[in-house]
Amino acid sequence: MATAVKSIELQAVEARYHDVDHVYGETRDIRLLGFVFFLLADCLLFSSFIFSYIYLRTSAPAWPPFLDGKQLPWFDTSFAAMNSIVLFGSGVTMHFALESWKNLNKRMFNMWLVATIVLGIGFLLGQAHEYSSVGITWQGTTMGASFFTLTGMHGLHVFIGVVYLIILGLQANRGVYTGSKYFGLTAGTLYWHFVDVIWVALFFLFYLW
Amino acid sequence: MQTGQTSTHDTHDAHGAADHIHPPPEGFVAKYIFSLDHKVIGFQYFITALLMMMIAGSFAELIRLQLTDPKGAIMSNDTYNVMFSMHGTAMVWLMLIPMVTGALGNFVMPLQIGARDVAFPWLNMVSFWIFPVAAVILFSSLLFGGPHAGWTEYPPISLADGTAGALWCLAIFTIGISSTMTGLNFMVTIIKMRAPGMTWTRMPLFVWATFATALMNMFATVALSAAVGALFIEHVFNVPFFDATRGGSAVLYEHMFWFYSHPAVYIFIIPAFGIVSEVLPTFARKPIFGYKVIAFSSMAIALLSFTVWAHHMFPSGLAPWLQIPFMILTYAIGIPTGIKVFSWVATLWGGRIHYSTSMLYALGFLITFTFGGITGIFLASVPVDLHEHGTYFVVAHFHYVVGGGAVMGFLAAIPYWYPKATGRMMSERLGKLGFWLFFIGLNGTFLPMHWLGLEGMPRRYATYEYFAKAFPDAVFWNRFETAFSFLMVASVGLLVFNAIWSLRHGKIAGINPWGARTLEWTISSPPPYYNFKKIPQVYDRPYDFDKPLPYGNLDNQTEPFPEYGKVVMPVPTPAGA
Repeated sequence: MATAVKSIELQAVEARYHDVDHVYGETRDIRLLGFVFFLLADCLLFSSFIFSYIYLRTSAPAWPPFLDGKQLPWFDTSFAAMNSIVLFGSGVTMHFALESWKNLNKRMFNMWLVATIVLGIGFLLGQAHEYSSVGITWQGTTMGASFFTLTGMHGLHVFIGVVYLIILGLQANRGVYTGSKYFGLTAGTLYWHFVDVIWVALFFLFYLW
Repeated sequence: MQTGQTSTHDTHDAHGAADHIHPPPEGFVAKYIFSLDHKVIGFQYFITALLMMMIAGSFAELIRLQLTDPKGAIMSNDTYNVMFSMHGTAMVWLMLIPMVTGALGNFVMPLQIGARDVAFPWLNMVSFWIFPVAAVILFSSLLFGGPHAGWTEYPPISLADGTAGALWCLAIFTIGISSTMTGLNFMVTIIKMRAPGMTWTRMPLFVWATFATALMNMFATVALSAAVGALFIEHVFNVPFFDATRGGSAVLYEHMFWFYSHPAVYIFIIPAFGIVSEVLPTFARKPIFGYKVIAFSSMAIALLSFTVWAHHMFPSGLAPWLQIPFMILTYAIGIPTGIKVFSWVATLWGGRIHYSTSMLYALGFLITFTFGGITGIFLASVPVDLHEHGTYFVVAHFHYVVGGGAVMGFLAAIPYWYPKATGRMMSERLGKLGFWLFFIGLNGTFLPMHWLGLEGMPRRYATYEYFAKAFPDAVFWNRFETAFSFLMVASVGLLVFNAIWSLRHGKIAGINPWGARTLEWTISSPPPYYNFKKIPQVYDRPYDFDKPLPYGNLDNQTEPFPEYGKVVMPVPTPAGA
């Protein structure tokens, strides 16, 4: 019932902004498509590095490879699994943040957004811990090269995402987004889910394969 | 017009009216430097790319001068390596791609779809300004000795370049970002911002070509960014991606590089296809033959181009089971290309041909591009390629396709759209002289390379003493090529002179000097900064020269069409009278 009432509220708000929305509707479509294309291109950037990892791994005589006569250690899969849960959890909280915004519940929106940011930072700290304890280096072998480049790129995306979400949160509370004009929040959510999806691929490729 | 179509018309008027146009920006910087206007950005691209063409062209002339003597005439072997690397890099990334996508795509495409600007004008400006920055980074690598491994910069040789190699990677990464953003911008613009009534199959063919190009620009360029990004990491942080002594693979770089760079050659050639598809019907006064197949073969080429990259790598020891499919797919990409060539020839058939400068370039394009395409089919065959890959035959093929295809294409576009861009006509006399210089120069330079290559003259070498002993005519042919290559220099010089001279002294162009039928010819020349006061309504394709213009809602027309714009088809055609 509550949602039905809110959607009527939403309609009222939308009616107030109707003139703006009329022009805005087109701009939003254009921006959304542009943003989806940006994510696709970014996805292909990851795919290229993933391709290079698969290529190097399948053409190596042994995996993990040998360095100075010693085989390198395997990754700590259980720790990475925990860390993955943190990141996927942040995807769930982000989803609820956007839903709260759509239902005009600003208090819940702020709560879910802060939760997302905290989980994102938690994931980054987990990555930092993993980097310090993994026992391989960037320079030594192709394993290190692929691992640090790919997870580093992903970590950079998470970092940018956290900064982006903080900016979005500040903007939302300053009243930048009104009525149905919340494209920035949609984009932020899409971006955050995209970062999650990339991590699914990386988790399979590095820890489970 | 027809009652059935007025509803779209009405809904559009609600927000397409003149009251949404904001006043133009004031001040020199906002107008000409950091402009958001797609037409000004097109000009910026054009001027910068033309400058790059001169720089890269002068590298090419130094290469040609060196080869007038089998021992090498003017420079050390080391300098020669830098020269041909920089020539290739600058021509491909700083001249061709910005010229055909940045300059022509930006200027023409929004006008042809009836839009007031691209979807993201600010992104467009950023894309442009990245380009000169990348050029500065690239040329600054010369201060550190310059890149030595060719425009492909294959490791492990390129890893010896040190700082210069790292700067090369940085420059290509940067220009790649610019290309990707332009591609994204154009895709969204074409998908979302076409004038009402302009369905996909009513778009001008240049727009189709720009769309196919944007698709490749967006999705292929990131693979290049990954390749040069990894190479950069290897240069700077000594991380083993491509270093075979630490488990890396140089062939991996080739895969990543060519996954981009094969689509890249279609990035330069498909806009040229689009230009020719506009120029031929206009000057043959005849509907384009096979509109749909031309449009769809652009898309087919764009999609197939992602599946043929390994034909550049046949000598790299690729497994035979991989070579065969790549050979077959490469043959397959010849099919849509061939369909286009036949459609263009059929467009000319029975037409009333006006030999303007643009038309001459378009006809020259048909000849030289087809020639280059056919040698491409030879090279697609694995056994032939294994023999010819390291010889001048490949150089000849590539320069016929790029010089005789892409460059001829945009040389056709310059006199065609110059009146729209500046309001003045270019001098036809100088233009035609320029065409003959370019056409003869191109063939004189690159045709002998075919037989030199078949005799086994190795490419990329600074000297050819041993080859000249085995094939004494080589010295003559190399000097012949060098002499003819200067005709192309003269032609480009003439073009620049003509473009500057005509700004002042050209005839006033009027709205539609060619009697062409795409939307940009319905507004004043040069177009106002908002392009269309009212967004036009489109009822049909723009190529039926015997019918009235298929547009409604035009308030921009103040001058009548020239007489020859109304010529009715002399032969009965399906579309004819």
